[in-house]
Amino acid sequence: MTLKALLGAAAALSMTAGLAQAQEKTLTISVYSFAQDEFNEILYKPFEEKCGCKVVVETGNSVERLAKMEANKTNPVIDMAVMSMADSLSAARQDLIDTIDTSRLTNYDKLYDIAKDPNGDGKSVGYTFYSTSIVYRTDKMEIESWGDLLKDDIAPHVAFPNVTTNQGPPALYMLGKAMGSDSPDLTAPIDAVAEKADDIVTFYVRSSQLVQLMQQEEILAAPIGRFAWAPFAKLDLPLAWATPKEGQTGGMNVMVVTKGSKNRDLALEFMDFWLSTDIQTKLAEAMVDSPANKDVKVSEEVANNITFGEDTAKSLKLLPSEVILDHRDQWLAEWNAKVGQ
Amino acid sequence: MFQNRTEALALALPAALFAAIVFLVPVAILLSEGFRTADGWSIQAYIDFFSMPLNQKVFLRTLRLGLTVTFVAAIIGYAAAYAIVTLPPSSKGKMIGLVVLPLMISPVARTYAWIVILGRTGIVNQALMTVGLTDGPVRFLFTETAVFIGLLQLFLPLMIISLISALENLPRDAVPAARVLGANWFQVFWKVLLPLTREGLVIGGTLVFTGSLTAYITPAILGGSKVLMLETLLYQQVTVANNFVSASIIALILILMSFAANILLRRIASARNSK
Amino acid sequence: MTQKLYTWTILSLVLVFLIGPFLIITAASFSAGDTLAFPPEGFSFKWIVKVFTVESFRESFVTSIILAVGGTLTALILGIPASYAMSRYKLPGAETVRFLVSLPIVVPGIIVGLALLRYFVIPLGISISLALFVAHTALVLPYAVRVVSASLNNLRSDMEEAAVLLGSTRFGAFMRIVLPNIRGGVLAAFILGFVTSFNQVPVSLFLSGPGVRTLPIDMLGYMEIVFDPSIAALSSLLAFFSIGIVFAAERFLGFSRYV
Repeated sequence: MTLKALLGAAAALSMTAGLAQAQEKTLTISVYSFAQDEFNEILYKPFEEKCGCKVVVETGNSVERLAKMEANKTNPVIDMAVMSMADSLSAARQDLIDTIDTSRLTNYDKLYDIAKDPNGDGKSVGYTFYSTSIVYRTDKMEIESWGDLLKDDIAPHVAFPNVTTNQGPPALYMLGKAMGSDSPDLTAPIDAVAEKADDIVTFYVRSSQLVQLMQQEEILAAPIGRFAWAPFAKLDLPLAWATPKEGQTGGMNVMVVTKGSKNRDLALEFMDFWLSTDIQTKLAEAMVDSPANKDVKVSEEVANNITFGEDTAKSLKLLPSEVILDHRDQWLAEWNAKVGQ
Repeated sequence: MFQNRTEALALALPAALFAAIVFLVPVAILLSEGFRTADGWSIQAYIDFFSMPLNQKVFLRTLRLGLTVTFVAAIIGYAAAYAIVTLPPSSKGKMIGLVVLPLMISPVARTYAWIVILGRTGIVNQALMTVGLTDGPVRFLFTETAVFIGLLQLFLPLMIISLISALENLPRDAVPAARVLGANWFQVFWKVLLPLTREGLVIGGTLVFTGSLTAYITPAILGGSKVLMLETLLYQQVTVANNFVSASIIALILILMSFAANILLRRIASARNSK
Repeated sequence: MTQKLYTWTILSLVLVFLIGPFLIITAASFSAGDTLAFPPEGFSFKWIVKVFTVESFRESFVTSIILAVGGTLTALILGIPASYAMSRYKLPGAETVRFLVSLPIVVPGIIVGLALLRYFVIPLGISISLALFVAHTALVLPYAVRVVSASLNNLRSDMEEAAVLLGSTRFGAFMRIVLPNIRGGVLAAFILGFVTSFNQVPVSLFLSGPGVRTLPIDMLGYMEIVFDPSIAALSSLLAFFSIGIVFAAERFLGFSRYV
């Protein structure tokens, strides 16, 4: 009886494994894990109908994806991926991704200029961007500067992004600006955070957790990406999005094509579809991703909840990818030595 | 005891070979990365690793938490397992079911539940303030206490079921007999229960200690980066810093700690038994 | 009487500690609000309903079940003979065998996943599904061997020796005398193994590929961005599913007589 069950299980397992190969045309993509329901409705299903192919989706965060791509270098399983700007530069340096043939992207000209070739190597195309600022309780404090986060009465109610997250280095950079330091080594802000490390509630890794912490008043302020704002807006609390005098920071997510992928045409077709005005509008209306396509028009309500418009995009104080890549190890070492104590 | 060696080997080899090929070999290669340098073999990476104060601190914290969780789990485990085996068969089954139940729930969800319970507005703080033990809410989240509670809840069931299996085989009248003969509860435990249940304690203790060392989700969510443990440090090294050498070193440390715990528990248990 | 008082005091305290968080999760899954909170804000089935609408949960649930059942059965098929050899035979190199089969328990999951990916899957071109299956089998093996060994060691061996002396084959003696007597141990090992595999996160973290994903990884990914009570709802549904299994085991096999 156990043997029968085992055979059954083994058969079922090999079936699931074989399923992906059974389809003639399959596009394999690797994306962020959030809002997959919406992506499925808005993006994947319509594309499958259009191309008559199957879209297989792998999800995970940017760094994990990069590690897997590096591991599968000789025999790539993924055709197309999205990642942070810095990780795409890292992928390019490791020779994991190819130059994108933008002549095949009919919607390429509709993109904001900053999204067209963000790393300047022709190997990535931006599809969404976000601002990073501070969400805070207006009834408990006032935030006018990034430096306010470390005030004695505020720090014990702050969740600060860990240096390992996408939001960490930009937030530290802005903190440095508030302290009068523009240096990309982030030594000054890391020292300042280290001094308050015992007071600060947590150094968060997942922004989703913050909604919970905010709701139970564990924290009263936190630097976050705008893509995480929607659930905060829904809370029945006096919360606001700070406009610090040093400005807001942020980031962009980009699309890349894997080197050695066998489905390049399909991947480009999919990217073009994703960048189209129709899809970008729908994704913005679902408050999933802020558009990188300048033809997208949305209602004021939607615009207020996402990072909308080229002016906003241009005003963001972004850390260049090279700076992030070149300093990552040093930041982590310094953070671990000072803040991790 | 059967003597046929060929038969014995035929029975045991499939499992041993399986473990060796899919497990020992890949893990051994990974572990070797900690000793491999461009010029050959060296332990320099280990010296560098332990010279960093953060790593020392994380190492000691992991050891401390692992030991306290195991110790407390053993105490509660004996009390609970003994209570369960003395139940009538019908309620015993249900009780075992209830003890096993939390194991069925994803550690992810269980850990998140503690965020609600241990929060500033959570049940624990409300109770503390109602009773008047504190004036304001106590911060539990992102402290070692929270990680300790989370790990204990995660692994206590493993200790209890290991001890139940062991206690089940205890002669029914061993404890009452010892009591009648005038032994106090401490003597009953030390002279009767412990020697007869050492297998269970060794299994349970190893499961709890190793589990606490290698748990990822609980320290990550309840401790965060303010309470790094070896496993969360390892994860950080792999995914963020792409540092396989550190990862390899931490892995070896964790493995050695687990082995040490297992051997130590065996020693303690058999030393009691041989007297 | 004091015995009874002791029993129930201890058990209620332990159960509050062990089950309390589960009750809170369950209550939270019926919340009408958008965040995990206790006491829940209002009452609704919307999060329970939502779980069933998430397609990836359905797919990864099936993957996890197949992995847990298949992996655990394979581990038992490998582990029971090995345990039997170690407890009843003079096995040459018994310590080595014991060491090998208990290895997977002491190696941190993340290292296992990483090692398998880097030195097993990639160089040998093995599919992620097979790697997952193999990894989960290896993970469950120590539990299978330990629990079954414990039952075997507690079972007197004179009956089967007598049966062999009386002309039964050893296999026959094993099937007719040993197996029925260690049934509880095997079932306990199965449940322990199933649970270990089903909830495994770190090993599967690196061993997930496009279209192949276990449920906990899926949940973790989902929770990374969305934090609403649907994860609580899914967890309580899964827990009730498990309670069903334990009840069935108790009802049809008399679980408690054996564990």
